[in-house]
Amino acid sequence: MDAAASMAAAPQPYVLQETLTSHNRAVSAVKFSPDGCLLASASGDKTLRVWSTADFSLLTELSGHEEGISDLSFSSDGRYLCSASDDLTVRIWDLAAATAVKTLSGHSNYVFCCAYNPQSNMIASGSFDETVRVWEVKSGKCLRVLPAHSEPVTAVDFNYNGSLIVSSSYDGLCRIWDSATGHCMKTLIDDDSPPVSFVKFSPNGKFVLAATLDNTLRLWHFSAGKFLKTYTGHANSRFCIPATFSVTNGKYIVSGSEDNCVYLWDLQTRKIVQKLEGHMDGVIAVSCHPSENMIASGALGNDKTVKVWVQRTEEQMED
Amino acid sequence: MNAPIIEVNLIFWVVLGVWMGEDPLQGDFPEVIEEFLQHGNMKCIAFNRRGTLLAAGCANGSCVIWDFETRGVAKELRDKACVAPITSVCWSKYGHYLLASATDKSLTLWNVVNGEKITHITLQQTTLHARLHPGSCTPSLCLACPLSSAPILVDLNNGTSTVLPVSVTDNTNGNAVSHPRNKFSDSSLPFTPTAATFDKHGDLIYLGNSKGEILIVDPKNVRVNALIPIPGGSVVKDIVFSRNGQYLLTNSNDRVIRVYESLLPTKGAAKELEIMSDTDDKFPRIEKLKEVGTKCLRLSREFQDAVTKIQWKAPCFSGDGEWVIGASASKGEHKLYIWDRAGHLVKILEGPKEALIDLAWHPLRPLVVSVSVAGLVYIWAKDYTENWSAFAPDFKELEENEEYVEREDEFDLMPESEKVKELVINQDEEVDILTVEKDSAFSDSDASQEELCFLPAVPFPDPEQQDKCLGSSLKLGDSNHTGSPFSVEAAQNGQAILPASSPLEVVGNSTPEEAVGTAGMKRKRKPSAKGMELQAEKGRKPQTKNKSSGKTSKPRSRSGDGIDTNGSVLEDDVTDEYL
Repeated sequence: MDAAASMAAAPQPYVLQETLTSHNRAVSAVKFSPDGCLLASASGDKTLRVWSTADFSLLTELSGHEEGISDLSFSSDGRYLCSASDDLTVRIWDLAAATAVKTLSGHSNYVFCCAYNPQSNMIASGSFDETVRVWEVKSGKCLRVLPAHSEPVTAVDFNYNGSLIVSSSYDGLCRIWDSATGHCMKTLIDDDSPPVSFVKFSPNGKFVLAATLDNTLRLWHFSAGKFLKTYTGHANSRFCIPATFSVTNGKYIVSGSEDNCVYLWDLQTRKIVQKLEGHMDGVIAVSCHPSENMIASGALGNDKTVKVWVQRTEEQMED
Repeated sequence: MNAPIIEVNLIFWVVLGVWMGEDPLQGDFPEVIEEFLQHGNMKCIAFNRRGTLLAAGCANGSCVIWDFETRGVAKELRDKACVAPITSVCWSKYGHYLLASATDKSLTLWNVVNGEKITHITLQQTTLHARLHPGSCTPSLCLACPLSSAPILVDLNNGTSTVLPVSVTDNTNGNAVSHPRNKFSDSSLPFTPTAATFDKHGDLIYLGNSKGEILIVDPKNVRVNALIPIPGGSVVKDIVFSRNGQYLLTNSNDRVIRVYESLLPTKGAAKELEIMSDTDDKFPRIEKLKEVGTKCLRLSREFQDAVTKIQWKAPCFSGDGEWVIGASASKGEHKLYIWDRAGHLVKILEGPKEALIDLAWHPLRPLVVSVSVAGLVYIWAKDYTENWSAFAPDFKELEENEEYVEREDEFDLMPESEKVKELVINQDEEVDILTVEKDSAFSDSDASQEELCFLPAVPFPDPEQQDKCLGSSLKLGDSNHTGSPFSVEAAQNGQAILPASSPLEVVGNSTPEEAVGTAGMKRKRKPSAKGMELQAEKGRKPQTKNKSSGKTSKPRSRSGDGIDTNGSVLEDDVTDEYL
């Protein structure tokens, strides 16, 4: 009966719900906790802030890093956060105590990205020193140093069961590693190799979403070694902008862009379904809520805010 | 006579190897010691179902649970009442419980998640091997095999035990020496060393007795339903099933390991057996049992060392049942023999000069773990050679030189067929990013029961970061208390310092400082206390408050060696306020 309901292709648009202004410098990363109750943001102002997703009040501010922070990752139980910083360390924060409990040192250049594995007993970190390090959470010991790339490592991610790690780099390669042994399993490379600025596994671990600095996102079927989908239309040639899968209400690819918008593409048709406008500077951080139709985005220095976008239902929309 | 068989085998392996892209003479079995684990004096080990956790029973009565992925101690199970050396450990099916038997005749059932003792039972004799019923998620039944008398079924809830029959005589109906539901009252125990095991789902118990017979007993009515005489008739020391329940091996005193194929179905075997054994009563009991026995097990292979006639110890199957491994029981030897199921000896692994006391093969990976009398656990793994084609996808590894045959027009000035191959990708095809493929190695996963694969890893706080940073009060709910005091202690005491003279050959790309394959380097678990103090002095961290109240020797994350000298990012002025 509803016109909107019968049009299965057109989703409800996302609208801006909250703008969180708290950081003093560019926001570099935003992530929802695995249970969806918390939203954390990392910034060049050397702090991390944790917000409640219920009322978007600021719950904690975590300081301790000596330089700006580039990435953050929640543990699976949402009790711990790890953050990667230009001060060459990865720190693990206890959210209940609001302090850092461990500092993982070993990288010899800026640590750019970090990720917890699903079992949350290991953390992988990628750095400008061209290596990926795997750390044991409990003792903080570095378990492995993977000779991953020949340029700064821009992203690391574990697959859904923690058995594989994918890493991307400015050298144009994505490499897939066996996390138990540290052996390289596969290298994904295209004919021309633009710097890969971001990489992430799909929820079932079969595909890898890679962003390259030629304004393109590609979905690779990594065991076959070829890509299946391309997403374009946004601007991405300077910064490492994460992209993610939105699967709570239809399947979409969500990414930030240097033209100050958040882009949403339909996964299968590759068409842009929405551009979220509102930020005053390039959007270099996005994250999707695990169960609700909510997207969080963070922007560069002229903006410094975290914006939360939701999909309103029919009743909430005012026509 | 054997030639045709060997040829066929060889052809099979070569074909298989080519198909899998592997060297046919290599196999999925370990080759070198990769690492060793040290924590106290470990005596026996057991992997959980998925091989993610390794439980080890120690000489001081505690059980250590290792996170096998990180090779670190995940938990330590300790109790004041359990101080006797552990003789065996056994996981419950989904890894929530651990059964440990000790030399003080006790059996202890632990809850792995919270580290608490559930039950503690004292039996009449010390159990050498205790096995929890493999079919249920919350097992209450266990099989306890003492050193030299009949195995008993123990009910862990009420402590009652049932002695299992170890022999069949013609004039009884099979319930030879059992006193059901009573404790074994005979004070002079007959010397009947017997090995016993559950089948895959715990429907039946397979016993190997001192007369060299395999008895299949139904645990529900404690009745012997089948009998299989082992050729040679010597005392059975071990009886072990493969993980898929299709193969059974026996280790006898006549220095032969025998592999049997199980002809019964893996599930519901007890019922089938009852049907078979109930048909008619015309024949004498033993003949009937033997007849049924031929329908249950079929001898497949015999393994022995024809030259030195070694006695075997701790034999077991690989995770996929393709390989059989046995350790030499000769004095002071740490030698492992690996056979393929066709009967060929494929490898002899030799370890350090410390006698081996226990052995286990990883359920999924080509990894073997052995315990030496020195209390160390050695991990054997495949010798890894870098797969270079993984690093560059258009590289192809060749086994040997290939002659290059150029195309017809390759060197023409104007080649016709040379054109850029357009990779035709149909970008409109549907892509499924959500469906997860089922793991074929675990076919009987019961999705309703959650399996314990990992123990939560609580980061052990660095000593300096005790100060509270500026932060508003947290509105999060009560955080659970992190871990039992025992697990904290374990992290402190764990992984003691390596003795300098350890005649090990360790290969691996796992040392943090170097990249791939540094042969001969020991995999240290942590630097010495002195080494860490030196590192701390280099001024790694600015907020080194040095609140060390005797805590300087605590394990900390290891920093790379070269970094600290250029620690220019570290600020000189350290303040209490961090913002």
